[in-house]
Amino acid sequence: MITLTIDNLEVQVPEGMTILSAAESVGIRIPTLCFAKGFKPSTSCMVCVVRVEGFRHLVPACGTLAADGMVATTVSDEIVKARKTAIELLLSDHVGDCVGPCEKGCPAKMNIPLMIRQIAVGQLEEAIATVKKDIALPAILGRICEAPCEKVCRRAQADEAVTICLLKRFVADSDLASEKSYKPECLPQTGKKVAIIGAGPSGLAAAYYLAQAGIACTLYDKANKPGGWLLSGDIDKEILPPTVVEAEIEQIFKLGPVFTGNNCLGADVYLDELKSQYDAVLLAVGQVGDDVVPIGIDRQDGKIAVNRQDYSTSLAGVFAAGACIGSRNVCVRAIADGKEAAQAMISFLSEEREMSKIEYNHRMGRLKEGEMPIFLKHASANERTKSELPTKGLTKSQAQQESQRCLHCDCHKADRCGLRDLATATGAEQRAFAADRAVFEQIVVSDGVIFEPGKCIKCGLCVQAAKKHSETLGLSFEGRGYTMRPAVPFEKDWTDGLKKAVIECVKVCPTGALASKD
Amino acid sequence: MSEIDVQPVETIVTDVGRKASDALALLQGVQAHYGYLPTEALERLCELTECEAAEFWSVATFYDQFRFKPAGRHFVKVCIGTACHVKGATQIFEAFKRYLNIDADNDTDAERLFTVEKVACLGCCMLAPAVQIDDVIYGHVTGETVGQVLGDFLQQQQQTAATGKKKGLQKTPSGLVRICLDSSCRAVGSDKVYDALKAGVETLQVPVKVKHTSCHGMSFLAPLVEVVSADGTVFRYGNAQPADAVSILRRHFQPATASGRVKSAVDHLLDRLLDDRIGEGPIRYSLSIRDRSIEDYQDRQVHIATEHAAEVNPLDLDEYQRNGGFEVLKRCVTEGDPEAVLTELENAGLRGRGGGGYPTHLKWFAVRRADAEQKYIICNGDEGDPGAFMDRMLMESYPYRILEGMAIAAWTVGATEGRLYIRSEYPLALQRIGAAIEQCTQAGMLGERIFGSDFSLNLKITVGAGAFVCGEETALIKSIEGKRPAPRLRPPYPTRRGLNNAPTLVNNVETYALVPWVLRNGSERFGQYGTNTSKGTKVFALAGKIRRGGLVEVPMGMTIRDIVDDIGGGIENDRALKAVQIGGPSGGCVPASMAETAIDYESLHTAGAIMGSGGMVVLDETDCMVDIARYFLEFTQDQSCGRCTFCRVGTRRMLDILERLCGGEGKAGDIETLYELGQQIQNTSICGLGKTAPNPVLSTIDHFRDEYEAHIAGRCPAGKCRALIHFSITDDCIGCTICAQHCPVDAIAMKPYEKHVIDQQACIRCGTCKSVCPAGAVEVE
Repeated sequence: MITLTIDNLEVQVPEGMTILSAAESVGIRIPTLCFAKGFKPSTSCMVCVVRVEGFRHLVPACGTLAADGMVATTVSDEIVKARKTAIELLLSDHVGDCVGPCEKGCPAKMNIPLMIRQIAVGQLEEAIATVKKDIALPAILGRICEAPCEKVCRRAQADEAVTICLLKRFVADSDLASEKSYKPECLPQTGKKVAIIGAGPSGLAAAYYLAQAGIACTLYDKANKPGGWLLSGDIDKEILPPTVVEAEIEQIFKLGPVFTGNNCLGADVYLDELKSQYDAVLLAVGQVGDDVVPIGIDRQDGKIAVNRQDYSTSLAGVFAAGACIGSRNVCVRAIADGKEAAQAMISFLSEEREMSKIEYNHRMGRLKEGEMPIFLKHASANERTKSELPTKGLTKSQAQQESQRCLHCDCHKADRCGLRDLATATGAEQRAFAADRAVFEQIVVSDGVIFEPGKCIKCGLCVQAAKKHSETLGLSFEGRGYTMRPAVPFEKDWTDGLKKAVIECVKVCPTGALASKD
Repeated sequence: MSEIDVQPVETIVTDVGRKASDALALLQGVQAHYGYLPTEALERLCELTECEAAEFWSVATFYDQFRFKPAGRHFVKVCIGTACHVKGATQIFEAFKRYLNIDADNDTDAERLFTVEKVACLGCCMLAPAVQIDDVIYGHVTGETVGQVLGDFLQQQQQTAATGKKKGLQKTPSGLVRICLDSSCRAVGSDKVYDALKAGVETLQVPVKVKHTSCHGMSFLAPLVEVVSADGTVFRYGNAQPADAVSILRRHFQPATASGRVKSAVDHLLDRLLDDRIGEGPIRYSLSIRDRSIEDYQDRQVHIATEHAAEVNPLDLDEYQRNGGFEVLKRCVTEGDPEAVLTELENAGLRGRGGGGYPTHLKWFAVRRADAEQKYIICNGDEGDPGAFMDRMLMESYPYRILEGMAIAAWTVGATEGRLYIRSEYPLALQRIGAAIEQCTQAGMLGERIFGSDFSLNLKITVGAGAFVCGEETALIKSIEGKRPAPRLRPPYPTRRGLNNAPTLVNNVETYALVPWVLRNGSERFGQYGTNTSKGTKVFALAGKIRRGGLVEVPMGMTIRDIVDDIGGGIENDRALKAVQIGGPSGGCVPASMAETAIDYESLHTAGAIMGSGGMVVLDETDCMVDIARYFLEFTQDQSCGRCTFCRVGTRRMLDILERLCGGEGKAGDIETLYELGQQIQNTSICGLGKTAPNPVLSTIDHFRDEYEAHIAGRCPAGKCRALIHFSITDDCIGCTICAQHCPVDAIAMKPYEKHVIDQQACIRCGTCKSVCPAGAVEVE
């Protein structure tokens, strides 16, 4: 056994152990990217660097052996900065989008490509869950949304955008029409209570997500029915029939929120009162005049002033969302506000009170010449499906056909990408080191598995995995330096190189470079 | 596509071997046969050997030497080493491609006659810009002479094919003529002068022995013919040409026979009629000037690694022994005490000459005390720094000294197997070391039971394939093992886990070359030279904008100014010294204001440079420091193995910024980003290449920050960066049309007796017009 000191903690480990494992044995987590258990350390990404006394330079913890008497530090300004730079350098050489441009363009940040993939294979129950994760009122939105997602849809650069809005409506309508419509799991009641003033899109959306977090909600509205301007506003009833509005709102109240109608703020109910009765209050009162905003709340340009990070107002425990804080008066924005305010309130009401960091999103930007055909290769060449009437949705076969037109611009491993997680954790910026981006490439590895060289961090774990499986050809590092990349020997196809190791390669690849398409 | 005949692969495998460790030699065999590496041949090779496809491919694609597309019949390798770079190598490269009509995406002309490539460094820095076509080196090439160079090469090819070799007549010689035949001397035609001297001896029938010698180090005089008369006086003729051979011989030696004398007179007469150059003699320095310059050049030097410079025949083993060679080895193996050797080296204060300066005795001790059945010894001759050619010269000129040093080391540490890793760009060094190993083995100084003792040492050569990173010891070892040569994390150091995981001693060529002298003359004498912490001498390759360049060996502690002024004779063309780049891509630029810096490990480090392996490139006021930094970074980032993020991507991002600066697109904040990123790369790379790659940038920012700022403002003060300058013709133009005739892109219309004008759109800023204008009427801004 040897004894070393890590972050002022004395550690005893057997000889031959790395600093990384030694630290882990006492619960000190050093971040890693290119390291995988059961593989030789690549000592490549340099995210795990630590400082060891007596060494002039930082050393990678994954490959440096612990030694008797060693003194190591795993966190310091120097180390944190080095880790961030390592990630930023990798990002400067990264080609791809974490999420599709559509999701990025959607105010509610819905995972549109995933929904479309689920429609394509007929998994409508999964599709409605995907939709409702971010959009509380999809059947309504599916009829009246301005669809900013379609304006940025990459397919529009080739012919016309995918008809995302109608696809979402199809999913939501199918759900409402089904015998057992979708009802998300709710956490057990936390005992916390929230008052929501205004039962329009923002307030309803907030209630939907607060309820799922085990928080009791009461919605106050001056009208006698929930819906706000969805029912009272100037909307063509042909396009948005009140029956649809009512049916979809009903789904929210199934989760437990209570509606109290005919209650006007400042006349029937008072903020002070609500504040004392509830743990938090959300103001979602829609378009406001001077008379409505309670005294004591700061205002800006006539609207309620909020901290845009967490929707909090100048009064502690009082939040605001939607048109009353000056958000654009479109339904999808109101719904997005409601969701985000709910998340902020959940965090406010929980013990930790820690806002989760904003997730890192890499963007590829404008396509270069020759890249569109790569995206079009796996998509159907059909024209955009037009519904016959503006009031009519898509049929099942139309929806499935349309779903084939999606280019699936999002990364197939966006939700389990080490690089993205570390970029989020370190607060790395994509353009910290400006560079011309490389051309997007996509190589078929096997049925359903693709290799995107632009996302590769050159750690060589796939090369090791291929060797482990004793592939005849396997993978090698081709070339050296900046242009090196994993490749099959003798310029053969990946399908020739990987026969047995594909699944492990995908599993061990720390980024979306090697990924399963579904 | 024609089918590839893979039959020859079998012969290659039979000749080279079947082991995975033979990978590099097998690849070299395939390339030698096909001119490139056809994938069919490589697949066949894997079938026939123990080489695994994945590893083999990663090795094949790592090295610069290997190509995967068919090449032309001849290779034009344009040296882009530092010395060549500052003298316009890029323009030469472009001129060859232009002349051969090769577009940007290709490297071979349509007829597949020539393939034009860049090569890291040919190690002939004093001939800059230098170009190697197959085995022939051409020096001082200009954009204008590329056509002549190609023509001369083809003509020479035809002649070699047409004439066989004649046997010379042997007589007891009474005189001696010496000429150096090292690569750089050959490049300026010393082999032709040698042939002419031999032929002259035969036709004049004079009793003279023509001997080729080790390098004299005075590249600026090459080809240098030294005539030793009967009384021992030495006459030196610099820049001799083949046509001068006969007149040199005639001046000093009387033909031995009467008929010879007659024949000589007649020949002379005929020569006069045929060639009016005869009688002018070689371009000879006047006696006084010549002597002084040579004395200056030699005076302050101390020859230890280069002992007997210019006096000995590199491959005369008897001569080496007559000068005391192999005495120390004999004493060691027959009656010596390894501990005493270590003590002597410790007392001598010998430090590794490869760059790091690690105390030699400590390294030897580490291997000696390692407990292992098998130990290895390696000589690192992978001198890849552009601007360095010390090790090449040492290997070409003093092969026995290196072998003796290795043998002593092997005996001291207990190694019985050894390798010399030598760059393929050094064919002569390979040939001489190979021949020397064979001679020594036959004479019992290498191989089994050396000098009758029970010590045996088997030495082999591994030929490198063009990867700078192989100079890093862990990469070098992997390269010898036939693996992909990406450096690995140290510790463990090779002294514990080296070649085949056995304890291995890796030292540089120069370190080994010093060992016999130190042990023969004693540590005290060695310690007389140098400073307290840096003892002895260091060999430098002095090149760049200097009057007299070449190989110099000076005591440590001498100042940079002394080397530049006293040894190098100052800056050429009477320009001012701006900086001296020391240590190549891992080193830095010491500005003229710090020229009093002493040459020792510590002082150089303080000045922001490093000793490195000893490249010293002198820069003058016309050199742009941002361009120099960009040049070195382009080199290291191209040579990065790619393992570490900071080195692979970080150096590329630094290069992006430098390219923008040189391209006139710099932005505020660029200098700060460069500096900060550079420091982080130093701090986080696992091998020496990455750790030192930012040095040239950081040191130029430290000393020449104003030039960086000028580039951001859109100016290149040295007038070097092509995007920031333009050429124009002033009113001094005499209308001679010479510029128009020479412009390679017809950017100047020919207007006799009128002022000429440069079409800025068409101009490629090659500077030819400026260099040919007889009236000095071309301006650069």
